[in-house]
Amino acid sequence: MRSLQSLAWQLAVAAALLSACSQSGHSAASKTIRIGIDLPLSGADASVGQSTLNGMVLAIEQADAKGLPDGFVLKAYPLDDTVQGIHNPQQGVANIRTFVSNTDVLAVLGPYNSNVAAAEIPITNAAGLAQIAPSVVADELTLGPAAAALRRVHPKTNAFFRVCTTDSRQGSVAARFARSLGFKRVYIIDDNETYGLDIARVFAHDFTALGGKVIGHDHLAADTQDFRALLLKVAAAKPDLVFFGGVTSTGGGLLRKQMFAVGLGRVPFMGGDGIADLATVAGKYADGTYFTVAAPDVTKLPSARSFVAAYHKRFHQALGAYSANGYAAAQVAIAAIASALKRDGGAFPTRAAVLRYVAATKDLATPIGPITFDAAGDMKNPVLSLYTFKNAKPVFIKLFKLKTQ
Amino acid sequence: MHEFFAQLVNGIALGGIYALIALGYTMVYGIIELINFAHGDVYTLGSFFSLTILGALGVSGEVRGPLLIVDVGVTIIGAAMLCGIVGILIERLAYRRLRFAGRLAPLITAIGVSFILENVMQVWRGPSPVAFPAVFPTHIYNVGGVGISLLQLAVVTLAIGTMLLLEFFVHHTRFGQAMRATAQDREAATLMGIDINRTIALTFFVGSALAGLAGFVSGAYYQSTWFFNGFGAGLKAFTAAVLGGIGNLAGAMLGGFLIGIIESFATWKLGGQWSNVTVFTILVLTLVFRPAGLLGEVTPEKV
Amino acid sequence: MIFVYIGSTILVAAFGQRIHVPVARIAVYVGLALLLSVGPVLGLGSDATLNTLADAGIFVLLALGLNIVVGFAGLLDLGYAAFFAIGAYTYAMLASPQFGVHLPFWVLLFVGAALAGAFGIILGSPTLRLRGDYLAIVTLGFGEIVPQVFQNLTRFTGGPNGIAALDFPSLFGRSFGTAAFPYYEVTLGLIGVALVTARNLRSSRIGRAWMAIREDELAARHLGINTTRMKLAAFAIGAAFAGVGGVVYAAKLSLVSPDLFQFQVSILVLSMLVLGGMGNIAGVVIGSLVLTLVNQVILPQSNVLAQAAHLPVNLSNAHFFIYGGILVAIMLFRPEGLLPSAQRQAELHESVQADGV
Repeated sequence: MRSLQSLAWQLAVAAALLSACSQSGHSAASKTIRIGIDLPLSGADASVGQSTLNGMVLAIEQADAKGLPDGFVLKAYPLDDTVQGIHNPQQGVANIRTFVSNTDVLAVLGPYNSNVAAAEIPITNAAGLAQIAPSVVADELTLGPAAAALRRVHPKTNAFFRVCTTDSRQGSVAARFARSLGFKRVYIIDDNETYGLDIARVFAHDFTALGGKVIGHDHLAADTQDFRALLLKVAAAKPDLVFFGGVTSTGGGLLRKQMFAVGLGRVPFMGGDGIADLATVAGKYADGTYFTVAAPDVTKLPSARSFVAAYHKRFHQALGAYSANGYAAAQVAIAAIASALKRDGGAFPTRAAVLRYVAATKDLATPIGPITFDAAGDMKNPVLSLYTFKNAKPVFIKLFKLKTQ
Repeated sequence: MHEFFAQLVNGIALGGIYALIALGYTMVYGIIELINFAHGDVYTLGSFFSLTILGALGVSGEVRGPLLIVDVGVTIIGAAMLCGIVGILIERLAYRRLRFAGRLAPLITAIGVSFILENVMQVWRGPSPVAFPAVFPTHIYNVGGVGISLLQLAVVTLAIGTMLLLEFFVHHTRFGQAMRATAQDREAATLMGIDINRTIALTFFVGSALAGLAGFVSGAYYQSTWFFNGFGAGLKAFTAAVLGGIGNLAGAMLGGFLIGIIESFATWKLGGQWSNVTVFTILVLTLVFRPAGLLGEVTPEKV
Repeated sequence: MIFVYIGSTILVAAFGQRIHVPVARIAVYVGLALLLSVGPVLGLGSDATLNTLADAGIFVLLALGLNIVVGFAGLLDLGYAAFFAIGAYTYAMLASPQFGVHLPFWVLLFVGAALAGAFGIILGSPTLRLRGDYLAIVTLGFGEIVPQVFQNLTRFTGGPNGIAALDFPSLFGRSFGTAAFPYYEVTLGLIGVALVTARNLRSSRIGRAWMAIREDELAARHLGINTTRMKLAAFAIGAAFAGVGGVVYAAKLSLVSPDLFQFQVSILVLSMLVLGGMGNIAGVVIGSLVLTLVNQVILPQSNVLAQAAHLPVNLSNAHFFIYGGILVAIMLFRPEGLLPSAQRQAELHESVQADGV
């Protein structure tokens, strides 16, 4: 009884303290501009979420160190959208609403997962808050009637942008690469998640249209490390290429490794940018793998080289699959905020101004190439590069330019 | 036909790993009737301990000859001991106080401990999957056209051997007697002079050490480990233990093998996306017709 | 702000429970209800606050439903998220562009409840012979099967992408839109209905039958209680609560996808129940509020909070640790939950007679 009361009082005191601390409304005198970041930072997606966050934080820290006009300070405001270890659209929406309610926040970066984005877009759209995603690739977030439905509160406003390619572009280019490399019989495996399923579907369609043959299409089981049963089936079908729709951590790495255990080691493996970090799991078994990345050859791009160096210096670790995209997304937001600051000369910029400048981003130099957005919020005139692994290191093969309307 | 046997071999090897985890699960359940959700994470911890020990031994790839036995032996014993100690600590800190608090409070602490262990592993070895050295020779024996690797043989032998050893241990040693007495009636066991706390702690030690062993085996088998693996594997192993009849050692092993085989065949015939659905559907159907699992006996509920 | 809201709710609920003069207790509850329902109309609480409260409210609905199955009838259900999923997908398929069907939210509340309840009976009936943890593992199995089936039947459910851009509910021709406020008020109203239902059920003949089954099934049967029907009733009613929760959840989020209904959700709701104090309705409410607060505010904001308190730590890598630590600590120090049911407490301690809740 007494312990209950004391507990209740402790709770009350804690609540009062915390609420006092967490008040952070933007007052007229505020000189702190925040960039909200919504990513999965714990649980199953932590590896990719944390490394993407690092890229964003690096860009924001660099910009802040360089200094903003009129004594403004730039801060990252990262929130985790994971609940119980799984990325969660409900939590993503809660985070976005936190950003919307905080007037210091002028732009939002993230999320990582397509279904989280689908839940968030209506909110940022209604609030007119610019949102730049580093890696969500589902077509229907920006294209067609599905995207229009997400923006139905303000149909004329588009507040969602992404600095990555779409599933259909990547799948389609991968199919062209595969045919140009002479592959005829492909076995497709996807991880039964949004990204993997869509890229695999487009690849299958285009590969067939280009005269290739899809001899099987299968999905990975969730929550397992054992893909040998599936690979035995693949081996029996005797493909000359295995295409994987998915990412390294959802099974790409283990799949490649286990191909060697069932006698498929000599068959090439191919996928999208989700397996750009394949060697971290597969090591030397990554050799013989092809993957596409929606950027020019990063080793030749000066902006990419300086980014990689700065990243190693700051975090003492290798880049994640989407660190560069995270950095680029932050660069877009920072450039727009800087433009708005310059125009308003000392006043706290409005979200509407930042959104306009984000939409007007033109040829911004980033580690993933120059960025210009089209009306839907996708990158204009994207390029895709084909890479392979040699001695567990990615090696550039060739570049592909896409035309957009 | 050839593919049928290839899938069977694969399923049995996979099942062997489930069986090893399930044996520990079922031991702990047998003595305090706790669904120890942290068991899967102790298993993952075992693979990380093994990784650390192998690193200390300077093993980074295949080992041949007598050195293989030494390296593997040291790693297994080390990982099992460390996991056993973790098991004792978990029991002491998180479960012992709740021994008389109904069944739900310890269930929730078990979930809490599972989250804590996952976080510790994430910080310790990073959030990405970690490569595990391919310790065993990759030689594949050709048996009637079906390839069987040394490691697959080892997994199955280990699972069966461990089960037999445990059966002997439980039925023919003093500690085994104490365990069975404690499981049956704690008060009576106390009256017989059995130290309940020690018996339960030792059971946790053995169960968790088995998880450590399983962790090494799966690390070597998949040449990879990840802080989040324990969740899915633990769930499957628990399912295996229940399928066989929870608390029953032979049942846990049987359940493990069955689930591995079901998964393999479901992936082969229905596709990977249906393998979990198939496993759990078969579990539900089995329990509907045999409410205490395949080898379990229907006993009147304890009052 | 959010802390003040939830804190005051917790305090009032906790003290309301301990005030033994009925009039005073009712006054406390009415005051709380007024503050919570009228406050936001007057502009109290930001959109983010109301959003979190609405999310917490959905979990209160779920926990109240699970409390009927686990707390009242004593049937351990580890797959409760399956019914939540059924409610949510009901709304997603019948109020979205997916099939071009656009039924009103208010109708679907009942449809979702009915469908989930029906599945409760379908899934419950084969399990009635099972006891204790065998029942738990079978429900866990259902909880694994249902979202996986939703994920695989892509033609109907949108597969792993799920279904997005669901209809906004509307009332008297006015659309709810994206603001959290209307969803918050609806959730609050539904909690009111759920609370009254749960209380009435507990003191009804069915409620007493459940308690009897929970304490001793054999004896209950000898007393002439149709245990099969009573257990099915618990499953169905509990599932119906989850169905309602699912409909509100889907409408508010405007999205469903299979990963929202995995085993972790079942575990989360069960934790809310046990942490709050199983069997005790006020305890269940508190457990849901506390864990939502932890999951949705404290953990995502942990770094912001740490900075505000001038702690030089990076907590973004420690979310699981904190969450797990909270679960363990509360259970170790209050094994019966934050607000234990007086009745169950009495049973556990075998001391005084229950004070007739």
